[in-house]
Amino acid sequence: MIAFEDHFGMSDAEVTRILDRALSRGGDFAELFLEYRMYDFINMEEDIIKETAESISLGLGIRVISGERTGYGYTSDLSSESIGKTALTAASIAASERTAGNAALSRVQPLEDCCPLTEPAHQASLQEKIELVRRAYLACQGADSKIKKVKALFQDSAQFVVIANSEGSLAVDARPQVKLVCTAVAEKGKRKEFGFSGGGGRVGLEYFGQVCSPERIGREAAEEALLLLDSVEAPAGEMPVVLAPGHAGVLVHEAVGHLLEADFNRKKTSIFWDKLDKRVGSPLLTIYDDPTRPSFRGSYNIDDEGTPPAKTLLIERGVVRSLLQDRLSARLMGLPLTGHGRRQDYACIPLPRMSNTYVAAGQDNPEDIIRSVAKGIYAEKFEGGQVEDSGKFTFSISAGYLIEEGRLTAPIKQATLIGTNIDILQKVDRVGSDLSFGLQTGTCSKEGQEVPVTDGCPTIRISRMTVGGQS
Amino acid sequence: MSENGGAEPLLELAGRIVDLGRRCGADEVEATVSDGREFSVDVRFGSVESLVEAGSRYLSFRVIKDKRTAHATSSDLQVGTLERLVRNAVDRAMLGSRDECAGLPALSPEKVDVAALRLFDPRVSELQADRKIGLALETERIALEDKRITNSHGASFTSSEVRTVLASSNGFTDSYDQTFCSLSVGLQAGETDEKVEDDWVSVNRFFEDLEPPETVARKAVERTIRQIRPRKVRTQTVPVIFEPGMTDWLVGFLFACVSAVAVYQKTTFLAERLGDRIGNEKITVIDDGLLPKRLGSRPFDSEGVPCRRTAVLENGVLRSFLSNAYAGRKLGLPLTGNSDGGGVGPNNFYLQPGPSTPAEIIASTKKGLILTRTIGHGLNPVTGDLSRGAFGLWVEGGEIAYPVSEVTVAGNLEQVLRQVELVGNDLDFRAPVSGPTIKVAAMTVAGE
Repeated sequence: MIAFEDHFGMSDAEVTRILDRALSRGGDFAELFLEYRMYDFINMEEDIIKETAESISLGLGIRVISGERTGYGYTSDLSSESIGKTALTAASIAASERTAGNAALSRVQPLEDCCPLTEPAHQASLQEKIELVRRAYLACQGADSKIKKVKALFQDSAQFVVIANSEGSLAVDARPQVKLVCTAVAEKGKRKEFGFSGGGGRVGLEYFGQVCSPERIGREAAEEALLLLDSVEAPAGEMPVVLAPGHAGVLVHEAVGHLLEADFNRKKTSIFWDKLDKRVGSPLLTIYDDPTRPSFRGSYNIDDEGTPPAKTLLIERGVVRSLLQDRLSARLMGLPLTGHGRRQDYACIPLPRMSNTYVAAGQDNPEDIIRSVAKGIYAEKFEGGQVEDSGKFTFSISAGYLIEEGRLTAPIKQATLIGTNIDILQKVDRVGSDLSFGLQTGTCSKEGQEVPVTDGCPTIRISRMTVGGQS
Repeated sequence: MSENGGAEPLLELAGRIVDLGRRCGADEVEATVSDGREFSVDVRFGSVESLVEAGSRYLSFRVIKDKRTAHATSSDLQVGTLERLVRNAVDRAMLGSRDECAGLPALSPEKVDVAALRLFDPRVSELQADRKIGLALETERIALEDKRITNSHGASFTSSEVRTVLASSNGFTDSYDQTFCSLSVGLQAGETDEKVEDDWVSVNRFFEDLEPPETVARKAVERTIRQIRPRKVRTQTVPVIFEPGMTDWLVGFLFACVSAVAVYQKTTFLAERLGDRIGNEKITVIDDGLLPKRLGSRPFDSEGVPCRRTAVLENGVLRSFLSNAYAGRKLGLPLTGNSDGGGVGPNNFYLQPGPSTPAEIIASTKKGLILTRTIGHGLNPVTGDLSRGAFGLWVEGGEIAYPVSEVTVAGNLEQVLRQVELVGNDLDFRAPVSGPTIKVAAMTVAGE
């Protein structure tokens, strides 16, 4: 790992002085979050490298917790005057004599590095990255003469964080992130359709040689657009739905993950708040959130509150086993930390969030699952979803097929599916043995904060769900 | 911050970046500095949950050399960092491709009178923290007086002041200041496994225009309790009435389809439809950056082009795409003042109101769905297809019969715009992209 503490030029003694100042009006807990992030961005369209961009984000956030109250200040000006003022802003939430003391700082060690990369993107030349973009672009464009418009985007970032708190924990993490995506527009007569694919994660450029080539990304985007040229309207109404392995993990991200975030349960707004150790779904369903999966987009060595994360069992055979915790909720609920306190950047208060959320593999043969459906849809590609605390959730498919008499027939256009989580989780009646993960390109948004995530699942059958097509 | 007071240091910083870029060999340079102060307080069940106060600045710039473009942004404004970023950008531009359409817009001789736009309320920056906290507490307290409300997501007050400074090598240099404030509350009603929820937020530039706690609380309560004990309906094709907040997203989807960037990228179904009828004669959609006090107003866009009023759809006919300098040059279209950080964005983009009251629109409907909320994605500008999760109120015989949830609405934007039967008179500009109540003759509602 890089000695990025140098970016901040701050000694342990200075950090302790800032935390002291943050607790000068009382409070139970103070924390300093320092962040330095570099981004590179390349955009290719109309056969040319149209733009490149470089971005730097540097700043710090200071948090003071007093009982259930949180005070927060942040600044991009790292002068000692500005930092002092920020500490006092955060301190203003507490109004009493000083209560908590500052423990001496000691370093938190992550168990394993979840980013075992060999060719860090932020150290590679721009030419090398441009070449990757070009390869994806050309593969997409060359896939078929019906491909009329292609766009390829590359983005890499390197985020370095230092998190210190009044309990004496000092943690650092270096988080590389790479993303190469390609979009395609295919045209046939008056029909026009859109395709998307991408790859990346907490990897270096070696990924594009070893795991997923730029050509594959380009071809996949083209194939999706071409497939949709022959698509028919999706059906409307309730019917059996088979979820393809991988991307369909967005269903558990929405239907389960968000509603097990501890803040919604502490506030009893989530439908799950009184369901710990109770059955909420089919015994075929076991669901994890694992921030430690090597190279995954949603992984981290240390969460944004300095806690080393652990693979967390959320649902065991249909029974709720754990929430996703951050420090505030864990303390107020008297439950252990799980290492899921995340924030978009230094300007944000950490919240309990997901990382890599997935359904464990089951027993069924995926082909048998498709064969078991007389009339329904096969949901193959997804473009995201949304949930509210009441458990109503949606996810949208960008491509899929009709299932007729146990066989995949016509491709279908985009459609949104809707259900209530506890109802749908109980209607999961087949789970395949073929666990896989979605594209390493996903982002989850909560209270305006975006963090990278992934999700995964095996082939799953839902006995009935409402499909929002037009026919 | 006082309006336009003390902007000189930031104008100077932006000017220095332009000079430095030119000295490093760039043909054209454009630099923007954004300087903001924000305050937000969340309260729940009568106590403060969190209080955030901060100031932040960032710089963004682009250089163009030999018709090749490079961008950069930074929140680190130390001289050394900025010098390195400018040099890198000029070097990096040469790794890009030559693009005849690249470049800044020509300097416009016109200038919008920023004072007349009334973007800045000094009262917002003078408001004391205690007063702001008090407003949030009061809003939630009033909402919780209604015993049908069973839980609270909390109430919030936010305020911000933002200064935007722009300098370009074409000679443009100017700045403007804006304020915003908001008051909101989110509520739940119903028992644990049958919760319903909604919220209400009032956002304005001027403190005096913000809805008072009583109004925000009442609207949030009404919106929440009207959903208690929802039913699911059968799959059918019926008239769908969009409440103003719902017309907002439909109009937002239209914006994505009339962006000149989407047009040249062929990612909109309207790309070759300029001059065509795409809606019925009741549909007129305007983009206007010059409406005093409105949330989407500004004197100039992110490239320094003066904002103006553009008729996008006139009585159903597609009249204009909204452009920035690049897309405008590419397509041979006039500039509309919609440049927004590298792409295009709406100013005040709205569907013009019609003659009907919302009550008349409901009374005209024998059977149909009033759409009150949607969740999820499901908008595809390439095809115009839309499909979203929906909540609403079922109408029978011209009256609201019962709440509906767990359904979807689906259609195609052009079909929807062609089938608008009635347009309401209740446009209130509560968001930069907005519209009144509308009634669409037929859409697919998928349920049981």
